[in-house]
Amino acid sequence: MTEFLDLETQDAVRMPWNVLPGTKQEAAQCIIPVSAIYTPLKPLPNTTPLLPYTPLRCRNCRSILNPFSIVDFSTKIWICSFCLHRNHFPHHYQSITEDNLPAELFPQYTTIEYELQNEKPTSLITSQVFLFVVDTCIIEEEIGFLRSGLSRAIGEIPGNSLVGLITFGRYVCVHELGFFGKMPKVYVFNGSKEISKDQVLEQIGFFLKKARSSMTGVPGTRDGHLQDNVSRFLLPAAECEFALNSVLDELQKDSWPVPGDQRAPRCTGTALTVAAHLLGACVPGSGARIMAFLGGPSTEGPGCIVSKSLTEPIRSHKDLDKDAAPFFHKAVKLYEGLSKQLVHQGHVLDVFACALDQVGVAELKIAVERTGGLVVLAESFGHSVFKDSLLCVFQSGDNELGLSSNGMFEITCSKDVKVQGVIGPCASLEKKGPLCSDTAIGQGGTTAWKMCGLDKSTSLCLIFDISKKEILDIICSSYQSSSGQMRLRATTLSRRWDLTAGFDQEAAAVVMARQVSFKMETEAEFDPIRWLDKSLIHLCSRFGDYQKDNPSSFVLSPRLSIIPQFIFNLRRSQFVQVFNNSPDETAYFRMVMNRENVANSVVMIQPSLISYTFNSGGEPALLDVASIAPDRILLLDSYFTVVVFHGSTIAQWRKAGYQNEPEHEAFAQLLQAPLHDAEAIVKERFPVPPTYNSDAPLVPGGDVLFTDDVSFEVFLDHLQRLAVQ
Amino acid sequence: MATPGGPRPGNLPPNYNPNSIADNLHNLQINRPNQPPYPGNGPRGPPPAFGQQPNSQSQPFPSSGPYSSSPFSGPSRPGPPPPGVAPRGAGPPSSGPPHGSMPPFMAANRPTGGGGGGTSSSNAPPMPASRPLTSGPLPSSAPVGPPGPFASSPLTSGPPGPPPNVGGGSMSNGPPTFGSQSMQGGPQYPSANVRPRPSTGPPPAPQTMSSFLGGPADNQPRGPVPPFSAPPRGMQPPTGPPPFSAQGQGAPHPQGSPFGAQPWQMQSRQNAPPPPISGSAQPPRMFGMPPPLPNQQSMATISPATGPSGNAVSGPSKIDPNQIPRPVPSSSVLLHETRQGNQANPPPPATSEFIARDTGNCSPRYMRSTINQIPCTSDLLNTSGMQLALLVQPLALPHPSEEPIQIVDFGEGGPVRCSRCKGYINPFMKFVDQGRRFICNFCGFTDETPRDYQCNLGPDGRRRDADERPELCRGTVEFVATREFLVRDPMPAVFFFLIDVSMNAVQTGATAGACSAISRVIADLPEGPRTFVGIATFDSTVHFYNLKRALQQPLMLIVPDVEDVYTPLQTDVVVPLSECRQHLDLLLESIPTMFQNNKTADSAFGAGMKAAFLAMKSTGGKLLVFQSVLPSVGIAALSAREAEGRTNISAGDKEPHRLLQPVDKTMKTMAIEFAEYQVSVDVFITTQSYVDIASISVIPKTTGGKIYYYHPFSALSDPAKLYNDLRWNVTRPQGFEAVMRVRCSQGLQVQEYSGNFCKRIPTDVDLPAVDCDKSIMVTLKHDDKLPDGTECSFQCAILYTTIYGQRRIRVSTLSLPCTTMLSNLFRSADLDTQFSCFLKQAANEISSAPLLQVRDRVTDLCINILHSYRKFCATVSSSGQLILPEALKLLPLYTLALIKSIGLRTDGRIDDRSFWINYVSALSVQLAIPLVYPRMMSIHDLNSKEMDGSVIPSPIPLSSEHVSDDGIYLLENGEDCLIYIGSSVDPDITQKLFGISSASEIPSQFVLEQYDNPLSKRLHEVVNEIRSQRCNYLRLRLCKKGDPSGMMFFSYMVEDKSSNGLSYVEFLVHVHRQIQSKMT
Repeated sequence: MTEFLDLETQDAVRMPWNVLPGTKQEAAQCIIPVSAIYTPLKPLPNTTPLLPYTPLRCRNCRSILNPFSIVDFSTKIWICSFCLHRNHFPHHYQSITEDNLPAELFPQYTTIEYELQNEKPTSLITSQVFLFVVDTCIIEEEIGFLRSGLSRAIGEIPGNSLVGLITFGRYVCVHELGFFGKMPKVYVFNGSKEISKDQVLEQIGFFLKKARSSMTGVPGTRDGHLQDNVSRFLLPAAECEFALNSVLDELQKDSWPVPGDQRAPRCTGTALTVAAHLLGACVPGSGARIMAFLGGPSTEGPGCIVSKSLTEPIRSHKDLDKDAAPFFHKAVKLYEGLSKQLVHQGHVLDVFACALDQVGVAELKIAVERTGGLVVLAESFGHSVFKDSLLCVFQSGDNELGLSSNGMFEITCSKDVKVQGVIGPCASLEKKGPLCSDTAIGQGGTTAWKMCGLDKSTSLCLIFDISKKEILDIICSSYQSSSGQMRLRATTLSRRWDLTAGFDQEAAAVVMARQVSFKMETEAEFDPIRWLDKSLIHLCSRFGDYQKDNPSSFVLSPRLSIIPQFIFNLRRSQFVQVFNNSPDETAYFRMVMNRENVANSVVMIQPSLISYTFNSGGEPALLDVASIAPDRILLLDSYFTVVVFHGSTIAQWRKAGYQNEPEHEAFAQLLQAPLHDAEAIVKERFPVPPTYNSDAPLVPGGDVLFTDDVSFEVFLDHLQRLAVQ
Repeated sequence: MATPGGPRPGNLPPNYNPNSIADNLHNLQINRPNQPPYPGNGPRGPPPAFGQQPNSQSQPFPSSGPYSSSPFSGPSRPGPPPPGVAPRGAGPPSSGPPHGSMPPFMAANRPTGGGGGGTSSSNAPPMPASRPLTSGPLPSSAPVGPPGPFASSPLTSGPPGPPPNVGGGSMSNGPPTFGSQSMQGGPQYPSANVRPRPSTGPPPAPQTMSSFLGGPADNQPRGPVPPFSAPPRGMQPPTGPPPFSAQGQGAPHPQGSPFGAQPWQMQSRQNAPPPPISGSAQPPRMFGMPPPLPNQQSMATISPATGPSGNAVSGPSKIDPNQIPRPVPSSSVLLHETRQGNQANPPPPATSEFIARDTGNCSPRYMRSTINQIPCTSDLLNTSGMQLALLVQPLALPHPSEEPIQIVDFGEGGPVRCSRCKGYINPFMKFVDQGRRFICNFCGFTDETPRDYQCNLGPDGRRRDADERPELCRGTVEFVATREFLVRDPMPAVFFFLIDVSMNAVQTGATAGACSAISRVIADLPEGPRTFVGIATFDSTVHFYNLKRALQQPLMLIVPDVEDVYTPLQTDVVVPLSECRQHLDLLLESIPTMFQNNKTADSAFGAGMKAAFLAMKSTGGKLLVFQSVLPSVGIAALSAREAEGRTNISAGDKEPHRLLQPVDKTMKTMAIEFAEYQVSVDVFITTQSYVDIASISVIPKTTGGKIYYYHPFSALSDPAKLYNDLRWNVTRPQGFEAVMRVRCSQGLQVQEYSGNFCKRIPTDVDLPAVDCDKSIMVTLKHDDKLPDGTECSFQCAILYTTIYGQRRIRVSTLSLPCTTMLSNLFRSADLDTQFSCFLKQAANEISSAPLLQVRDRVTDLCINILHSYRKFCATVSSSGQLILPEALKLLPLYTLALIKSIGLRTDGRIDDRSFWINYVSALSVQLAIPLVYPRMMSIHDLNSKEMDGSVIPSPIPLSSEHVSDDGIYLLENGEDCLIYIGSSVDPDITQKLFGISSASEIPSQFVLEQYDNPLSKRLHEVVNEIRSQRCNYLRLRLCKKGDPSGMMFFSYMVEDKSSNGLSYVEFLVHVHRQIQSKMT
């Protein structure tokens, strides 16, 4: 496995098959598609240089010069490794020799970053923009939590970042923060009405000082008056902190009376639309985030997910299956439109949903995911998940998220490899070409994607089609902008191993998980269990060693040995078993998984369990009731929550306070170890998971866990039997 | 024309001088019926009249030497108009001089005008007196003049033969006497009345007739030929002036003289001897009215005192403009008891100052009828040509000396009401069966008296406790409303101010004016937790202000979607005054500067109102809108259709009046919604341009509000009025969420309500707000015969919430006698009320019918009434005379003034006309008259005048003749006040009054300042007195000859001939001719 990790360190890529199947047929037999999980902003090793110039591209296919290119030093010609086109080096490469190679040709720099110098920034506004969209239909207590959360966050925002504020309830209030001593102003839009961008601009007076005719298309940022207008709504954090805080101080619960049998009128859809329009007018093309703080379901206007009457429950998975959620499709359509707009503008939608109820994350998913937004689901704005996650967004340092924006992701491959699509937080740029496969999955039918928002761990799952038996290379490139600079990273891959030896089980499980989630969302009547089972059985039949019809003879190579367990857990995971979750939760889990890297995704699929005893400092334990023992502390990490579980004896000791006594130093350390590890886990993670401490019941054996699911052993039995048939 | 009344009775010898008692008597008889005029009436100014002192009250006729002695006297009459007459008449013949000479006629006329002597007249002599006047004049004159002139005049024939009935009757003279009588009739209280108790006498029927001049033709040059007759017709000279024509050549004299000559001819006619009449009493014609005669007679006998009077003005001869009927103000306060001797006491003129004592009927302030006796049948009413309607003003401002309305709390049971018609207990409910039951005076149903309300009856059949219980002895009481009258808790007093801050509004200072006015007015709003205030501004968007922010300054909330507005907050936009005073002050102070550089020219007026409405929807309340430009965007945006209108007119558009109608139904729909939620809108229009008041006014009209119009708005001179208007608007007595219904006795029913309100069901009127200035016209119709000799009751009940949150029912009951006598109707007609109805009806029609048609209708109404009177109640008189019922003698003048008023002219701006129409709609009776016939007085000589107690100098007729170049005049109509400075005024005076040395220095924007000299102080006293009388600050404007302001001033000179109509004299002639032609 480590080789895969090494490769990931170098190229930020994990592939289920590190050797590509040679033929289409062979690829089909591989069950798990040829694919790659690529983390575009994964920090590169410190040794990798940052090239301060623009990369050299093939004139024919626009691919980038890379270590696999063949260079003829005498003629100063390089042959593109994809299309075999011969390119002359430009003048400044004239000094190139075998001993004097530019960094991008160093074999170890298959992934390298360029800093684009002459690319003109698309906008004058180069700093980050944060537009807060705050729900006010929440109880005073929640408002208090939210207010303090926001205040802290605002304190963390870099002073030059632009900040804007929209609050909403029944109506959408766009706050004019640039009032400087004059009377504060708020523009109030009707939440129950769809509103076009033109209307918004006209109504907030954007075109007041200049005839509209001059505003063809996107308003030019060079117009001075635009700058004036922008500065009414978006101000550098340093300048508007006071104004912002004063508005927040006066923030009140939406004043519209809510009858006891009704939900509060909340126009989330309109609020987000207005926010998008505002950003579209103010900072088109430059990185900006709409950060929505939602405290309940949308009930007003377009995008509402449920009627106001409390007698009508919010849609469940069952309703969605039966197509009995009357508002769902309309809302999704709205957000799909919104996502297109945001993608076009290069802006991100982040959602912080804090409510006991669902707020409509399932509907919002498309907009969040396409724009690469963050999503946090919690029960209350007072909950640590919210508070810590929000801070996380703005914090700097080792654990910073590395929020970047306006990414563009392109792919070039050898001609016999085609791209089916990407499952992950990005949006198709609809760049069609010969490299596009006929079948599409996720964001397909293109070789370029927009990643409006991305961070260090954002990972895309690329799925390929193999059409011919020739092994070739793949290249990925991506743009990023962080702290205002535009950078380009090029990763070039070439993989050869024996098929089985090159199988990355973790990557495979993650690909399967993304695939199954995707199919569940998009294919009607899709039976995920059956599909997973069949895939696993076929995989085992294809790669296992066995005598036909003799289950006991079945042996899997170590390269594949864990995959059945992954699939077994995937079958029972929240991604597949939606029964106990609301559509919002399911959407949330899937969104998080779809953007996480392999290691994190695996934890989501199969939680990690670590046991601590006096004898061992922490070793993995089986995900089984059997792992519970009185003298053990278990640390369960299911990615979304972290649980520290004290065995009954440990719990008793702890209650007795032994850890405070000097002679029981060891016990104190034992207690501390899992907490320490949990803290480490929590630190690196977004959304920040809650950590729970729990104790085993004092009466041992008091709890027997019942479950409908077959146990792993039974599962394996069946698998063996079916695989050998 | 003969004197009205007089003639018939025929009795009188022609000659009789009007004065002669005997004659009078006869006349009286005739008249009587009609007239039992006010005591006061008769007298009016008769005698003096002639003379120039029109008004003065001369003493009773008899005394009035002039008359009697004069022309009439002897010979007067018929046939031979003795030359002697001439003397008086002299004038006439001579042509000339309208002045003194004319006397006779004048006299007649005068009388009317004069009114003074009323009381006296009524008494014994009255009749006579009265007569004298009329008849006197005319006849006499006529005769007189005749000799010479007559002949010439076409009519000639007339003179000689005094054929009684003379259809064509030229002869009027005889009766003329009456004419004089008419004098008495002066409806108005003559000064004489002053005495508090005029009432003493039986309320005389006022009716008098003033007879008139026949028709003098127009004075001037036109044809000398007077009205009379036929002859003229033929000839109408091109000159234009209709009738008269022929003679036109006569002379071009200027007014004065004109008469002279022509008149004469007329006079000749006058001759018609009244005598014929004798039999006459019974005018055959009257339909149903057989009674006339009898009655009259009876009447006569009965109350000799009352003088019926008809003033006959001899037409022909010159009509002395100084002698024709004109309003005479009473300078002193009258005391009026609403009932006396268990009879309804006809009310004093609405324009006079009186103190009412509620003795059973409600004060006329709250409700007055067009006729103070109710015709028993609709035929009778139709015959009279008059209207039967009530003008109710339920919250009218009482005189400070009147006893306050008593509040009656019936406890949980609520006020006692008829169980069938729901009429409220009142003094006219009859208790029977030892008080155990009572009979409803409206529907006649017999109800059980609630046990705890029972009381024994006294020997007189009244409850013994009647005098202790206000509801049983007062015409107006207020009941505390019980739960059953509440659909919700009484609403708080909500005042929402909506201010235009668009570019024009800010630049013209309108915004600043509004803010400062509001800011000052807020101090006057009632304290306490029940007063709520909200503020919003608008340009192309609507801006609300959150006034309830604990720590910080107000927050502006902008509602940008003006096509579909909403209120941005449920709370905090309208907040208790006590919690936001500081914020309000701060806000109002900063609004003008905040929008100082506003470049938005658009105005979302409709959207602003709608949004404000939504903010107030839960409570209702008053929405006060300050608006400066044509609403151009958002809901109910309007277009500048005035411009289209102009092109259409030039293109011969057939319906130019469309511009006076709302452009579409949007505003109406909004208004109805507002009203439903008890939101009342007042609009203060501070503009320089066209704003389409026709469309805008729908909102205030439907919601019980009003339009205030400041055009062109001046930042210098208008803010004071704006402030005062606003202040009065919010501080005057008023109520909210009101519902009003008028009930009447069986036989009558309410036909229609008209005024500023919203009507959702036919029987009730919904008034989101109602105040002391608003009046509602209620037209009535018969659905059955009323029994003669009974009384008919009217009850206006209004349920409303006071500004302090009490729910009250104010009930005003009026009980009037029923009559079968036509003459009674004329005698008890209430000119002011009647004319107010005409005015309102005309205003209603202007926007839906061609203007010519409306004018014709107005004229026809006048002619029909006078014709009816002439035909049925004054048959004896000669047709050569125009005979006016004393009570209605000013009707022609007012009618003429109405025709020339802004609303009925084509030369005015569309907005001015629309405003006029809207202004009239809820106008009270006391302001209706000055609106069409403003009050003018000279002010350059204020110091030299004797005021006899009154601050305001006596008025001058609205004729340019009375405006001299070396004078300064003040003219006011209850809304505007014009000060005209003649071109050669003594600079010393202008310096003293205005601080300028000549008219040429008049600033375009004018603020009246007080200088330290007696004259200026006096002017201030006068202006302030007028302001307090009118409850209006008045827009002051300086006018001078030769510029538009001067033109405007002269457009109020309704007695002048102008492009908009005839002169007063010409009009009388016209009316006379019309009547004559109808008679034949």
